Amino acid sequence: MISLRYRNKGTPVHKLNPFCKLAWAGSILVLALILDNPLFLLVLFLSTLPVIKAARVWKEWLSTMKFTLFLCLAIILINALVSSHGSHVLLEAPFRIPIMGAPVITLEAIVYGVAMSLRLLAIISAFAILTFTVHPDDMMLAMIRMKLPYKSVLVTSLSTRFIPTLFDDIERITDVQRSRGVELDKGRLTHRIRGRSSIVTALLSNSLDRAVQVAEAMESRAFGTGRNRTFYKDIRFSLIDVTTLVFALLPCALGIFMAVSKYGQYQYYPTLGGIGLSGIEWFLLALMVSILSVILLLAHVKQRVDLD
Amino acid sequence: MIRIEGLTFYYSGATQPSLQDINLEVNGGEFVLVTGPSGGGKSSLCRCLNGLIPHFYGGKIAGRVEVGGLDTLKHSTRELATRVGMVFQDPENQLVSLDVEREIAFGLENLAFPKELIAKRIEESLDTLGISDLRYRHLHELSGGEKQKVAIASVLALHPSILILDEPTSELDPKGAEEVLSVVTRLNDELGLTVILVEHRLDRVLQYADRLIAFNQGRITVDGKVRDIMGSCYQELLQMGVGVPPMIRLVQGLRDRGISIDGTPLTVKEGRAMLDKALHGVSGQFTRSSEGNNSKPLVETTRLWYAYPDGLTALKDISLSIGAGEFVAIIGRNASGKTTLVKHFNHLLTPTKGRVKIDGIDTRGATIAELAKKVGFVFQNPNDHLFADTVNDEITFTLKNLGFDSSEIESRTSEVLAKFNLIEYRNHYPRSLSGGEKQRVALASVLALNPKILILDEPTRGMEYRLKSELMCFLEEYRQQGNTVILVSHDVEMVAEYADRVILLSEGKIVVDGEKHDVLSQALLFSPQINRLAQAFTGYGVPNNILTVDEVLGMLS
Repeated sequence: MISLRYRNKGTPVHKLNPFCKLAWAGSILVLALILDNPLFLLVLFLSTLPVIKAARVWKEWLSTMKFTLFLCLAIILINALVSSHGSHVLLEAPFRIPIMGAPVITLEAIVYGVAMSLRLLAIISAFAILTFTVHPDDMMLAMIRMKLPYKSVLVTSLSTRFIPTLFDDIERITDVQRSRGVELDKGRLTHRIRGRSSIVTALLSNSLDRAVQVAEAMESRAFGTGRNRTFYKDIRFSLIDVTTLVFALLPCALGIFMAVSKYGQYQYYPTLGGIGLSGIEWFLLALMVSILSVILLLAHVKQRVDLD
Repeated sequence: MIRIEGLTFYYSGATQPSLQDINLEVNGGEFVLVTGPSGGGKSSLCRCLNGLIPHFYGGKIAGRVEVGGLDTLKHSTRELATRVGMVFQDPENQLVSLDVEREIAFGLENLAFPKELIAKRIEESLDTLGISDLRYRHLHELSGGEKQKVAIASVLALHPSILILDEPTSELDPKGAEEVLSVVTRLNDELGLTVILVEHRLDRVLQYADRLIAFNQGRITVDGKVRDIMGSCYQELLQMGVGVPPMIRLVQGLRDRGISIDGTPLTVKEGRAMLDKALHGVSGQFTRSSEGNNSKPLVETTRLWYAYPDGLTALKDISLSIGAGEFVAIIGRNASGKTTLVKHFNHLLTPTKGRVKIDGIDTRGATIAELAKKVGFVFQNPNDHLFADTVNDEITFTLKNLGFDSSEIESRTSEVLAKFNLIEYRNHYPRSLSGGEKQRVALASVLALNPKILILDEPTRGMEYRLKSELMCFLEEYRQQGNTVILVSHDVEMVAEYADRVILLSEGKIVVDGEKHDVLSQALLFSPQINRLAQAFTGYGVPNNILTVDEVLGMLS
């Protein structure tokens, strides 16, 4: 039985207004896309860690990151093999590929791959916080408030609801087929594919039956035809929430400023630029970290205010 | 409250009507029990009452359905939702939110109720169902019974005056079923809700219902007060395949033997009073159907322990031996380790400690596929078995997997198709067959391998009585050929009737393992109805470990 990834642990991070968390993760996304300098990207990634810790979601985060690391490894490898723009050749293949010539591995390509990985890690880490700490229904509400169509949002939220059910289905059907002599990891490929397809077909048919029944049940509870719908749970903004929202959006503004004034850039090809930062850049880096961390401070303030 | 006149309905594309010339009137506050074989029209009737037919399903409809003053043809399901609450069979497929509170709010939100009213209605519903402690829980963590109560709460929040429940307990274990049914009777009793309950397990609710309606082939065949029907229409119900409670079968059996009984008892308490005279002279011994089994063991476990990867210890020190030709039932509460235990018998699970031997072979040294020729495993839901395009393919698939040659496949397939009366369906799409036929295909696909041991995991859950007895008769025949049947079940009545040996598990341990009369008698929860009844007459000499109607009747002749 698989459990949903969201679990209300009651930490200040969980209690934050979902819009604030969305804005904060959005800011990190923008910064990660704008900035080029590997040092900036590294610091960006590191600044998500205190929030993960405060939300007490280490275990969940680690399992997500394990998967992401494989992705990073793939990025570094593929970039190193495919990109040959760098000037420091570390390795030259003893064979030629038509049109491309002999593949070379350059220092620049590897560093670029590492920087791309840092970018990815920062983004995934930020959005992991959203999945771990925002109730999926609150996420749905936030989407609706941002004027996304209700029915599309509902379908997304329904699919979250049915993930545990789907996993139960897979487990049961796999047991059935294995009992019937299907060997999933043995034998010839065609044999294995046939075995898997028996599971997938049964699973799909089950899910279709389920879909009709769910539709019927929703219809019976007055879903659909009405134009208006109220929402029992609503996301309300207190003064502290608005402040948090502003602070969550500030890094985004900072990022745009840096993009316009060409700070935080870095040259990878054809030769790596110097790693040293100018005084202003050090200042901007510190500023970025401070603003990103304000969310934690405000989360604690919010908790105190809510208690009073 | 409900008025149906001349209702006939065809699902789109169907050539046979699902409902035919139905006339029915139900008064406010009535508790109507609806029963009958599957495909008889019970579910279709429910769907007509809240407008799912024709608004959701389409099809051809004639006649008139009026619910709470609204014509269902002219008013949509949405409009009817505040008059008719509908609860479906599978709790999993009718809950759409992640937690309980929001689930209850869903219908109210759809109707655009103001927030304050929604909050009030949520409180009300939680309290009425007694589930306020579940309020913030995630739905997927709840048990089946709890989920079904949430489903009831969520329709109740709309303040309907009619509550329709379409087989609400058939996916639940006995405890969950009991809880749901007691909630339903309370709603009818205290709040005066009109209840229409479709149910196979009559013995639990018979005494609460005012009226019993049986559907067969789209028509109402029986309609009247419960007690009258159980007295006068008993034969008709039996022929339809309705599961008449054992005590009523006993009463009718006694009447057939010329013993007069005043009235028809609906509860064990009434039974004790009404049968007092009839059972006065009965004493001595009943004939036990079978005695001890000394054949060589086919299934053997020694000091078997099993812990799930998450650390939960599911089986603790299980040692047992099951011989050829035995019919063993494994019973116990939910999560007592029943399914975990039988999954060891074909190596779906490997023991954490101890060993399991099947026909002398240690399962650690054999793959599931190798064991599949010796051990057949039938799971609860036949839909999980079926995936092929035709019934024929479904059966040959198993044989091909295990590498039989084509002539062997041919002969075994036709043999097993004939045995299960499936020849006319051999080119049908298995999932479009009826519930009973699907179960037969699933069984056939497993038994094509001629296993010596057949394991069934709750094969009769939610099954109507007729199909149940068909399945059991088949298992009995299969056992007669020297094979072993191992049944995991919650259905005490059926176990009492057909098994020889019963193993009771609790918390992963064997509590009792023995002959069924010793295990199933004089226990509150696990005793069949006849045994509970018999306790009152032990003073007359009625044996206190008697279990079935036939055993009692056998003592009379």
